[in-house]
Amino acid sequence: MNEVIAILNEIRPGPKFAEAENFFDQGVLDSLDLTTLVAALESRYGIFMDVDEIVAENFRNLAAIKAMLARKGVTL
Amino acid sequence: MSEKQAEIRRVLLTGDTTLEPLGRLLERGQDKLRIQAKAAPYGQVYQILLDPEHPHWAFQPEFLVVWTAPQLTLPSLGKLLRFEFQSATEAYSAALQEAGEFADAVVRAAKRVGCVIMPSWVLPSHERWIQTLSWRQGMGVANLVAKANLILAEKFAAQPNIILLDAGYWQSSLNRPAHDPRMYAVAKILYSQPLFEKAASEIRSVLQGSLGQSRKVIVCDLDNTLWGGVVGDDGASNIKVGAPDPVGECFHAFQTALKGLRSRGILLTICSKNDEKFALSVIEEHPAMVLRKSDFVAWRINWKDKAGNLLALAEELNLGLDSFVFFDDSPQERDQVRQILPQVYTPDLPVSPSELAPFVSSLNCFETPSLGGEDFARTNSYQAEKGRKEALETSGDVESWLRSLQTEVRVALLTRSSLPRAAQLLNKTNQFNLSLRRLDEKSFWDWAEDPNHSAYTFHVSDRFGDFGLTGLATFSVSGEEARIVDFVMSCRVMGKRVEEALLGYTFARAQAAGAGRVMAAPVDGPRNGPAKDFFAGKLSNGDGSAVDPAKVSIPPQITLREES
Repeated sequence: MNEVIAILNEIRPGPKFAEAENFFDQGVLDSLDLTTLVAALESRYGIFMDVDEIVAENFRNLAAIKAMLARKGVTL
Repeated sequence: MSEKQAEIRRVLLTGDTTLEPLGRLLERGQDKLRIQAKAAPYGQVYQILLDPEHPHWAFQPEFLVVWTAPQLTLPSLGKLLRFEFQSATEAYSAALQEAGEFADAVVRAAKRVGCVIMPSWVLPSHERWIQTLSWRQGMGVANLVAKANLILAEKFAAQPNIILLDAGYWQSSLNRPAHDPRMYAVAKILYSQPLFEKAASEIRSVLQGSLGQSRKVIVCDLDNTLWGGVVGDDGASNIKVGAPDPVGECFHAFQTALKGLRSRGILLTICSKNDEKFALSVIEEHPAMVLRKSDFVAWRINWKDKAGNLLALAEELNLGLDSFVFFDDSPQERDQVRQILPQVYTPDLPVSPSELAPFVSSLNCFETPSLGGEDFARTNSYQAEKGRKEALETSGDVESWLRSLQTEVRVALLTRSSLPRAAQLLNKTNQFNLSLRRLDEKSFWDWAEDPNHSAYTFHVSDRFGDFGLTGLATFSVSGEEARIVDFVMSCRVMGKRVEEALLGYTFARAQAAGAGRVMAAPVDGPRNGPAKDFFAGKLSNGDGSAVDPAKVSIPPQITLREES
């Protein structure tokens, strides 16, 4: 998960991502950060996320990101 | 850090799609250029361009980036693309009309900012129109976009603060998709993250170029960087450079790319662990070398550590390390320099020699806003100054140094063709300037045409190089008295007694014109101490501002030639 945290820190340096329950509800990340995050995860892990998967719900916290990556065959 | 360096540059982004990702990338740079970016909500381009009261102008940007998609900003092009027209040729003409209007709007907005940066119009790479017809005159979309971009180029030609960038290059040099339809669906983001990263890198380099922050010097290793192999071990005849060996061809191409940079004003230097004499002889004598000794302005070829050598090179060239780029095939050498001198740009070089030339050609750290005579002559100018300094060190004293320079001064009457440079010298010289007269070209020429006035220009050169037109002297004659009106000399030629030659000649001409006395009264300016001091030592004791003939002579070390 450290790699994912590093990616998040590059998008927004500062927030404690490990502790947050919902990045988007809590205003830690906005919708544009979501698109940057998707692009970074795709690039880093060589995966592809379709239009209907690029929703805040799937990336709302570290656990959700881990689950999304697992669905794409990436185990962290 | 000086105030200028810490200054934050405000950049406003406007376009017909979401540009926030670009704004965030622009703000991420880690070097001297610090940017604060604000992306206007998309779809407000014309409003922002045309309305000086638009709320986004409150941001007071220094730079405005206008990044539009042609198929959105030129509605008739959109129609042509989607075949929604009554007549293709009408849609084509209408689109060109819209392009002209857009250009006019950009020109109006340019009056309100320091600089406008507009990426050129590029069709999305996934758009495949009817290829047989795409370049047809009067109807094809490729033809149309090219014409529209040319309209922009023509309209912007007279605007020095509008920069049209080649966004087609961004797209074609990208190895990944330039567009991401998913992101457009999710957030109206037309461009892919890799394209945004490319755009941000290019825009940053253009801004740095315009602010004088580009890199200016390349420091190159020799073994396995300029040629294949280690010359100290393999011998000069076994290093790989040039045909027929493919590896040699790669290094030949790399040297050719470096030579191109040198030709347009980037300085080349060497830092290598080798025997200096031997290495230089290989550079001079190996038949396949593209770069020769004369292409380099300085070198440190020894067995010392490279960081120390780079410091020495920076001192010798009198340039900051933040203008240096270091090319070395060795990861250990690169790491050492990166750690000790982080302000030097030390990129990882590609491992395969075949990628060296493409790599150096693709660098954007040498970006420049203009190209002129000084750029093309830069390497030669540095070498000439180096020659003069070396001559000073080897000659024991100033007298023999001056003699060794073989300074020549060519004097001629002011002509129409020398007028621009003469007027520039008159208006820009502050230190060695007698009267600090400032005249535009026409007024100066008119003054010189008066039968009682004379104007002479002086070209200075020595055995190392040519300084150009660096001296100007004028006088007016009234009866038995001549008055030196202008006496101007560029700082480039100070310290070589050139001013003595100028005065000697001017004095002789004034006397030849019938004057018994030649007057020279310096104007008391804040910075023209050198001129005041010089003339103070030339005046007669007791005759006010008359020049003492006994104190005027042409130095023997200087050759004076009159041009008819």
